[in-house]
Amino acid sequence: MSNLVSGDGRTHIDSPLMRESLVDRRVIASTHSAREFAILPDVFLVGIGGQSIFDRGREALFPLVEELRALRQNHRMVIGVGGGTRVRHTISIALDLGLPTGGIAQLVGAMEEANAVFLNALMAKHGSIVMQREHFWELPLYLNTGMLPIVISIPPYHFWEPPPEDGPLPAHGSDFGLFIHAEVLGMRRIIFVKDEDGLYTRDPKRHKDAKLIPKITLDELLADMPEELILDRLLFSTWRSARHVERVQIVNGLKPGQLTRALAGEDVGTVITRERA
Amino acid sequence: MHKTFIQSPLAGAPLTDSSIAGLPGVHYDPRPMMPDVKVLKMGGQSVMDRGRKALFPILEELIVAKDKYKLLLCTGGGTRARHVYSIASDLELPTGVLAALGGYVPRQNARMLQMLLGQHGGIFMMHDDFEKLPLYFRLGCIPILSGMPPFGYWEKPTETGRIPQHRTDAGVFLSAEVLGSKRAIFIKDEAGLFEDDPKKNPSAKHIPRISASELLKADLPDMIVERVVVEYLNRARFCTELQIINGLERGMVTRALYGDDVGTIIHQG
Repeated sequence: MSNLVSGDGRTHIDSPLMRESLVDRRVIASTHSAREFAILPDVFLVGIGGQSIFDRGREALFPLVEELRALRQNHRMVIGVGGGTRVRHTISIALDLGLPTGGIAQLVGAMEEANAVFLNALMAKHGSIVMQREHFWELPLYLNTGMLPIVISIPPYHFWEPPPEDGPLPAHGSDFGLFIHAEVLGMRRIIFVKDEDGLYTRDPKRHKDAKLIPKITLDELLADMPEELILDRLLFSTWRSARHVERVQIVNGLKPGQLTRALAGEDVGTVITRERA
Repeated sequence: MHKTFIQSPLAGAPLTDSSIAGLPGVHYDPRPMMPDVKVLKMGGQSVMDRGRKALFPILEELIVAKDKYKLLLCTGGGTRARHVYSIASDLELPTGVLAALGGYVPRQNARMLQMLLGQHGGIFMMHDDFEKLPLYFRLGCIPILSGMPPFGYWEKPTETGRIPQHRTDAGVFLSAEVLGSKRAIFIKDEAGLFEDDPKKNPSAKHIPRISASELLKADLPDMIVERVVVEYLNRARFCTELQIINGLERGMVTRALYGDDVGTIIHQG
């Protein structure tokens, strides 16, 4: 079925993209289809905040570990961890040293890895395992043997982080990274566990009059984005072009039972949905 | 409930935006890491798929040049990558999977170049070895890296189509940017931009210099480099020029390394 084609000095393999310029919009559009294969559609992604949960230590983590232990009996899920205050410190120092954006991006993942190790130490007896990126395709193995995979959230853009639109901070952060992890695997739901009840009109830590947004669609949110966000801005703009993720929920991990209710499909915290065209 | 903070200007700030404007005590004065490195891309379809006839004379030029310059040689994919993308699109696989698959072909090409350049110090390196570049240069080596950036499964989906937007041109540009190198050189089989396709219209006029904004404004359906690279060029802090040269023409690689404005220069602005 495959033929080698030559005659213009190059040797091609016959395919619809043969000899084509992959930067040609028309060629790119030819690879489009409304459908997309979902690789692990029944798996939930649960992201645990670094600053909001991990930096609070046992008081916040132990009840959450207990909740996760019970939940994994009934749900197939992957846990993502954020980095927290150590990431901010890393970036502060890196900015002061004048390291390039890609250099900053290269550094921050290590702080998340430390949180992955913390969580794994606490949950190892319940079957947790830290998934190394090179072992991406072992996820089904972990899930099918009833294990609880823990992943770091930051995407591996590293030294190759694109120059940001504004300022020197890497734009491809942890929330974006978890989103894309869920999206590429065809997952439909992501739950972010933070220390607030959800998404507010303003940062509730700084403004008393901030109001909780219990339910909103992606389009509504994009049309009127709050100035201060609890998740990476890039997550929302990327979601627009995504095919699989239908629901992103933000719950308060300091309130026992919220994660359980969210996984059961209840509208706790903030529920952001994407209306299908 | 107690929360542990490390004191820093960013400690309480939301990092959900890349801007640091308005953060008191944050001052940013970036320094280039290795500005004297020449980052080159060896075209996949344009050079590698042509075999020895095209490649060997270019390698001869690089072997002579490597004692004068620090060369980081990156590779493109070519027709096998197109075949992979074609099959993966037919299977309706996600963009991230295509990006991961798209990495295999440039890696093969990098290994081929290493085999050919081994006796002259060619070293195949993975992205994780990037911090060993100073060692390779100190030893007089030519490090050879796949041009594909390491985003893999974490590559963003695009609105239309499923071909990853960051491919080997992006990886080459981003390598140059993080190293602080001013110009990324793309070795292809055409001397850059023309007013019409030179393969179809031999009298098409050559464009020696164009700004990123002009190129984006022209809104051509086809482009000589990946669209994101032209967009990023205007946000870059260090790599502000792309040079596209015809490697099939003898001496062009040498002249480009010397700093001559051969081929087409796409510059920031």
